[in-house]
Amino acid sequence: MKLKRRVAFILLTVLMLAAIAAWMMVIGRGHTVYLDNKTLEDYQGQEYKAYERVVVTVKGEEVAKLDKRDRGMSVWIGQNFEMTLEITEKKGDEPVVKEVSVKLPYSVDGIVINLPAYLAGLPEEAWYSEFVPMVKEEPDEEEPSIGDDFGLEGDLGLEGELGAGDI
Amino acid sequence: MKKVNDASSGKRVMELVRNNAVPIMFIIISAIFIPMAGLTPGYLVDEIVTRMGRNLFLVLCLLFPIMAGMGLNFAMTLGAMGAEFAIILVADWQIWGIPGVVLAMILSIPFSALLGILCGTLQNMAKGREMIISYIMNYFISGCYLMVVLYMMGPIIPIKHASIMLPRGLGIRNTVSLLNMRQCLDDLLAIRVGGVKIPVLTFILVALLCLFIVWFRRTKLGQDMRAVGQDMQVAKDAGINVDRTRIISVVMSTVFAGFGMVIYLQNIGNLPTYTGHSQIGMFCIAALLIGGASVEKASIGNAFLGVILFHLMFIVAPKAGAFITGDSMVGEYFRVFMSYGIITIALIMYETKKRMNKSRAGRELAEAQKREEGAK
Amino acid sequence: MGTKNNAVTLEKSHFQVMLEDFGVPRLMIAGFLLALFIITPFIGINPVRQITNIINRFSWNGVLVLAMVPMIHSGCGLNFGIPLGILAGLLGGTMSIQFGFERFGAPVCFLMAVVIATPFAILLGGGYGWLLNKIKGGEMMIATYVGFSSISFMCMGWLLLPYTAATMVYGLSGNGLRPTISLDGYYGQVLADFLKIRIGRLEIPTGSLLVFVLLAFLMWAFLHTKTGTAMTAVGSNPTFARAAGINVDRIRTLSVVMSTWLGAVGILIYQQGFGFLQLYTAPNNMTMPTVAAILIGGALVNKASISNVIIGTILFQGIVTMTPTVMNTLIHMDMSEVVRQIVSNGMILYALTRKTEGSK
Repeated sequence: MKLKRRVAFILLTVLMLAAIAAWMMVIGRGHTVYLDNKTLEDYQGQEYKAYERVVVTVKGEEVAKLDKRDRGMSVWIGQNFEMTLEITEKKGDEPVVKEVSVKLPYSVDGIVINLPAYLAGLPEEAWYSEFVPMVKEEPDEEEPSIGDDFGLEGDLGLEGELGAGDI
Repeated sequence: MKKVNDASSGKRVMELVRNNAVPIMFIIISAIFIPMAGLTPGYLVDEIVTRMGRNLFLVLCLLFPIMAGMGLNFAMTLGAMGAEFAIILVADWQIWGIPGVVLAMILSIPFSALLGILCGTLQNMAKGREMIISYIMNYFISGCYLMVVLYMMGPIIPIKHASIMLPRGLGIRNTVSLLNMRQCLDDLLAIRVGGVKIPVLTFILVALLCLFIVWFRRTKLGQDMRAVGQDMQVAKDAGINVDRTRIISVVMSTVFAGFGMVIYLQNIGNLPTYTGHSQIGMFCIAALLIGGASVEKASIGNAFLGVILFHLMFIVAPKAGAFITGDSMVGEYFRVFMSYGIITIALIMYETKKRMNKSRAGRELAEAQKREEGAK
Repeated sequence: MGTKNNAVTLEKSHFQVMLEDFGVPRLMIAGFLLALFIITPFIGINPVRQITNIINRFSWNGVLVLAMVPMIHSGCGLNFGIPLGILAGLLGGTMSIQFGFERFGAPVCFLMAVVIATPFAILLGGGYGWLLNKIKGGEMMIATYVGFSSISFMCMGWLLLPYTAATMVYGLSGNGLRPTISLDGYYGQVLADFLKIRIGRLEIPTGSLLVFVLLAFLMWAFLHTKTGTAMTAVGSNPTFARAAGINVDRIRTLSVVMSTWLGAVGILIYQQGFGFLQLYTAPNNMTMPTVAAILIGGALVNKASISNVIIGTILFQGIVTMTPTVMNTLIHMDMSEVVRQIVSNGMILYALTRKTEGSK
């Protein structure tokens, strides 16, 4: 009886932890959102012109001031991306404030949104593209040195000319 | 009359000094070093508050094996490695912020627990040498960790993002950026008092662990653990499953060490993949001992005092060393020497005491026997 | 029926005893090394070169591993405090260079290094032995930390001691020793080049091997003297030894001093082969491999012989030199460091948890 209760308790704990973990995986997914203020040329025969200036505010913080052909960036945790846009359509116009929320796809790290196209209410394929980071070629400095470590070898800057790799 | 009183209070002071020799020594060292280092009090307080938030959780997890009489758990690094493994995965899955921290903690549990069970089992196979086992275990598992992270991550354990991998496409980089997780626990609910940032949420977590420890001591399992720590044979006769209790204490230590490591890493903001865990055990143990703990007795207060004193010395030693000898390296070595030295002294004190008790018990037994023979 | 059954179990247990005697891990390591050797010709590695490497490595490390023997014999356990001896050796080596003994030739320089190291080794070993007598039963853990603290203490020493020899100190500031000091022009290779034998690609550093053989023989002879047998008695049964009128503490101290001195000589021999003096935290990297080597050779925590030293050093150094070359040619990756760490620490764990080594 006691054993049964214990097993049930353990199972329950594990389930609960698993549930929390799954929940965290959903709400904690981070994305980098790139915002383009670029003219979308020739989408089904139409052209969507870039705005004169767009000021992007995310969570009360101004993240970008976009002139024509500018790209801004913001990070966001979760899939319901919300931002406030202050749009000046043409030179001399009064800025218009718009609240915008975008559904982000879960599996994509970097998301590029074309603002004119998005605000014109076009379908997703028109304004959405995936950001593919350039693979940086870095010098091969990254062979980690291992050993029975002691002290603060890394901080000491006293590694021998040999790298002291030999036993 | 008054004189007697004075003498007894003087004695009491002496007793107090003797019992707290190590913390007092460190207070004196710090008192000498602080003016030499020439750091502003504001900076010192800020640094120490930050370091308390970063390290307290890790230091507290050492208390469980001490409770069970297994000495200083050098194998707390196993939990740290479990946490590092979990955090690499979380970083690759791009789970950010507090959800990332929570996920890393949960994910670290199976690894830490498994390693803890392994360590506890080995320690049960070599009773009386728990510490050396835990110490070697830490190197052994460190080797296994390297094997996994350096060679299996990529081809066997899928890693999506090339940005955290070595250029050869196998293994993880020397440092993994946790920029999107950086200080997210510390900053939430943080308050500033006179330019000093106090990471309230982190301290709440530490307080919760303290409460847990206090509560745990009173539970049946906690009582059992202390009984095992007092005398294994007596505990066994009283029907306590000694081996199991000991394993549980090690597992608790490693699991909490895993949590502590996640807190530590979110504060640092990046993961030194191959060196992150190597110093943790040594520094935490040194801190606890400096706080006045011994191999068989440690309290929450020891942990707090120890972290403050140890890190005070840690901050001022290089500057003070530079002031004295004109070479900051001397100070760096000095603090490492102090950490190792304090552990050495604590171990020596523990062993001599153990031996003295043993010989006293032996003498008493012999005397009792003699008396019995005389009675016959 | 019953007897037959009995015989079977008896035979099985006999086989098990044999296996136990040799040790499963040792068998595995020997098998692994053998497998490495067998595949070398097929993947284009010259086995002779590998043998040369192993012999070389053996000549570097043999004496250090030998230093484990006296303390194991006297029941002080594995000498994790070997860095103390190493530090004595390093003091001897650096001072010999500082005082310019190379003027009288490399052999004198080496000899003087040993001579200067000796008083340090005796002094440090004596103190260390006294300490270990105070804490019987907890030697290994404390030895480890004595090693650590002395290394970090000497880290400050290397910076602050008034060395002036231009080849050793930092070029710019002129104070503090460099972490790695080349022994070219001092006593580098002095033993290895003595009577060196070259057969094709096979090179044998005869001098180093002779010194090892000499020291090993002396150790063997010592263990058969009255004091030596007393040492073994202290290790296997201290109560009995005390009853037999042996001064246990004195014997133990003697064993620690011997171990420390051998450590000092061992590091000097290692460095003359390696060609560099390594200071600061480097001594720390010697402990685990040395302890692991003698355990791989089949030693127990309280029992070791000269053959354990020889077999263990060959097996361990074999693994250390063979794995990187073979791995590199096979999969273009150097996993040796990781393999070394797992093998050596796994071996120590195995030895520490073995039930057979008696109570203590």
